[in-house]
Amino acid sequence: MTRVLAWSLTLALSAVAAAQQNQAPKDGYVGGNVCRTCHPDVVLNFYRNAHYKSVASGKEPPERTGCEGCHGPGKGHVDARGGRTTIPRAFSLMSPARVLDTCLACHSKDLSRSEIRRSPHTQSEVVCSTCHSIHKPQTPKLLLAKAQKDLCYGCHNNVRSQFAMPFKHRVNEGAIQCTDCHNPHGAPATSWRTGIHPRMVATSADGEQPCLRCHTDKRGPFAFEHPALRVDGCESCHSPHGSTNPRMLKRPVVMTLCLECHNGTGSFGRQGDGVTIQSSSHNVADPRYQNCTACHIRIHGSNSDQRFLR
Amino acid sequence: MRRSPALLILIAAAASAQPTVAPSPGSVGTVRGKDSGGYNFTNSFEAGARGLSTSGNELRYRSDVNFRSGVRLFGSRLAIHSKEGHGKWFDEISLSTQGLGNDPYQFSSLRVQHNRWYRYDMLWRINDYVNPGLTGGLLPGHVLNTRRQWQDHDFVFLPGAPIKFLAGYSRNSQDGPALSTGQFFDSRGDEFAHFGNIGRRQSEYRAGFEANAAGFKLIVLRGWQRYNEDTATGLSQASPGANPNDRTTLTSLRITEPYEGDTPFWRVNLLNEKKSWYAVNARFSYAGGKRNFLFDETALGTDRLGNNRNRQIVIAGDARRPLTTGGLTFSLFPTQKLILTNHASFHQIRMSGDSSYREVNNGSLLSGIFRFNTLSVRTFTNSSDASYRAARWLSAFAGFRISSRRTQSIEGERFGADIEQFRYSQSNRLNAGTFGVRLTPMRPLSVVLDTEIGRQDRPFLPTSQKDYHIAGGRVQYKAKSVTVSAASRANYNFNSGSLFTHSSRNRSQSVDVSWAGKSGLSADAGYNHLHADALTGLAYFASFNLITGDQSVYVSNIHSIFGHVNFSIAKRADLTFGWTRAQDTGDGRSRATAVSTSRPGTALPILQSVQTYPMLYQSPLARVSVRLHSRVRWNGGYQYYHFSEDFGVPAGGPTASQGYNAHTLYTSILWSF
Repeated sequence: MTRVLAWSLTLALSAVAAAQQNQAPKDGYVGGNVCRTCHPDVVLNFYRNAHYKSVASGKEPPERTGCEGCHGPGKGHVDARGGRTTIPRAFSLMSPARVLDTCLACHSKDLSRSEIRRSPHTQSEVVCSTCHSIHKPQTPKLLLAKAQKDLCYGCHNNVRSQFAMPFKHRVNEGAIQCTDCHNPHGAPATSWRTGIHPRMVATSADGEQPCLRCHTDKRGPFAFEHPALRVDGCESCHSPHGSTNPRMLKRPVVMTLCLECHNGTGSFGRQGDGVTIQSSSHNVADPRYQNCTACHIRIHGSNSDQRFLR
Repeated sequence: MRRSPALLILIAAAASAQPTVAPSPGSVGTVRGKDSGGYNFTNSFEAGARGLSTSGNELRYRSDVNFRSGVRLFGSRLAIHSKEGHGKWFDEISLSTQGLGNDPYQFSSLRVQHNRWYRYDMLWRINDYVNPGLTGGLLPGHVLNTRRQWQDHDFVFLPGAPIKFLAGYSRNSQDGPALSTGQFFDSRGDEFAHFGNIGRRQSEYRAGFEANAAGFKLIVLRGWQRYNEDTATGLSQASPGANPNDRTTLTSLRITEPYEGDTPFWRVNLLNEKKSWYAVNARFSYAGGKRNFLFDETALGTDRLGNNRNRQIVIAGDARRPLTTGGLTFSLFPTQKLILTNHASFHQIRMSGDSSYREVNNGSLLSGIFRFNTLSVRTFTNSSDASYRAARWLSAFAGFRISSRRTQSIEGERFGADIEQFRYSQSNRLNAGTFGVRLTPMRPLSVVLDTEIGRQDRPFLPTSQKDYHIAGGRVQYKAKSVTVSAASRANYNFNSGSLFTHSSRNRSQSVDVSWAGKSGLSADAGYNHLHADALTGLAYFASFNLITGDQSVYVSNIHSIFGHVNFSIAKRADLTFGWTRAQDTGDGRSRATAVSTSRPGTALPILQSVQTYPMLYQSPLARVSVRLHSRVRWNGGYQYYHFSEDFGVPAGGPTASQGYNAHTLYTSILWSF
């Protein structure tokens, strides 16, 4: 009896809402006021949601307004007296491709999402609703289902452990976020380096590799550039997520890092005949020559010395 | 029985990994907030104090963790929303902060927007960074105790209109004391530590517009960056240098090196989203970059032969670095199941600079050298991908990438009338293929496998990727209350037909379990093993003899585990216990002792001591949060940090004994209204 009364009320409200708008429900669209009857918590708090703009504007067509803008026309759901399967677009039941199509109907033209359909996330069927929660967000600004790092760690378990190293970028501490370097919606093919395809790494606005957005002092230009940095990028020497080694270097000391490239072998380096071997005056057995950057202090690039001595 | 929404959010947040004990997760008040003047207000803030007790190497603690004692605003959140979406001046104000006042990691995020007219976003961050100079040998290395601040402001006018206008400002600064090192008075002279006061600033201004027409969007952004650095360096007192047997001394040192310049840039994007069968994204950017510099060094002392020296070096010049990038992504959607994409892009950067060197030694001009230098790198990349969803449970993707890179450089020097210059040019080509499948045999279970194989014919460095392959897989079972995932990834690179040049192998395996039960009980735990080993050919001089045939060996075996459990007591108190531990077991040695000569590597003790670096870093934590009132909670917590290593790098050097223990406590009140 109660349910009958509730659904009678629903239908009555539906009629009232339609009358208020001075138009009949169009193609099964009933309006958000009808939804409020059974989903008051969602509708009454919806003004805090970024998607409320579609309701507030009053100019959007029904298929782009409020609840039905995302979930589709609600008449069938109302007539069936509820049930997830009667919602035209119930996100928890939709295929990843359909979720993507639905969200991109409005969100397609942002620059940050311009590569979303070709991104590794989409290829792995990680789509909008995997990370974003429209009705129960933990971060109101971006409507993320969890704090950003926890979302990313949820799948990238190995990355979580890299940020648990003693030397790391301060992601867990909140100083920076994964999206400072990565674009989870996809990035164009990288051309600032060759080799392994970086994972959705976002360049800066002027096309530089992302490290240089914060580490502006390493950017240059310098009169004398360290070619390793400019040709192969910062990852030649550093592990960007975290490391057990100081300065997130790939080796415990600078010396082996330098010697592994400066060994004169092969067709490597700027001259194409091997990266220059160290000077014969450098006695590696002597401790004073065991820390290269004690003298080569401007190793990222120097204006004053081609050997980065000052 | 209705649970407070705030409590639900607290529990949900605590269920995720929380490596720092404070601020407390969950900072929102009651969901409904207060209504006033057509707006709804919600506000919460958590204020309190941290306590700290450390033993051992405190500088290393400050490098790794750096939380200090004192009072601070752990976190706050303010949200104001117009109830009808038609506010007069604004429709939304959202402000959130973390760590203001005393934490080494502070941020503040602000959004103010009017649904029709504008949107303003601000992000402000501070990171207090301490570098203890651990890479040093006899010298302390490059010690830093700096504060970096970032701020980004972005303003959009008419955010919902077909044409919207963009403006922005960013600032990045780094300030603080530092120790650096230098060698005097010639290339065989002694090394000295000297003190500097770092001051670096970059400001960026940008403006542009976005326009929609005929299904396309055009985005044009013009920006200007201004960078300046004015780090002054000096000597606090006369120094005998790092090597007692060297007669070089330094009685006075003054270095000023102003460095400044501009980088104007353009960025243009033209894109459309999926039409019926295609999508296009074209992009172009150009950034000019120029810096002017002056280096002025005056040093007084004695050289390695005991002669008095009064030397002034003045170097002046400029450097330029134009960067041009462009790309076109074209996608085809011939069927609902198939996506074909082609990326074509180029990247050209040309760095050139010159410097004029003057040295006045004991009152006489000894040299005047003009050096010039150019390095240009031009890369074309074409990448083609196909993604096919064969069935609801099976999809696959594959791709092929070609990169062609040309590196050219000129190194030159003019000394009097003599000019010497050397030109080099080389090219490199990468062919790489990727393939992957995704399987969903049953709804909560998914499997992703992917691989990439690449070949470069002429990589730039011996350690660059030449013949590399990556293989990875991830299995995830995600049910309503339980998520179990396991992943494995291997990354092998062989940079030569001979292993002598370089080979590296990296593997990781991980497993995570997360469970959220009813009545507020939840737990998550994980284990990860990261293995890395590398073998690289060395050539170096030892006692004036050229040593070839030695190898640099590096072995790392990191076992990382974490675990967290959260539960509620009588719906009044929430408890969290957690533990993270990262241990590198290295190659099995516990001390930097000599290794067996049968193993590959080197006989040089210093190189043997840095083949591995076993260490232990762990941090257990406990936190309690008690509801005192519907709007007030008290939080308290403890977190312990422990770092230990017995290796010492390099062996016996001053950087040994890096271990520390740190006990951190906090107490706070979370107030919401």
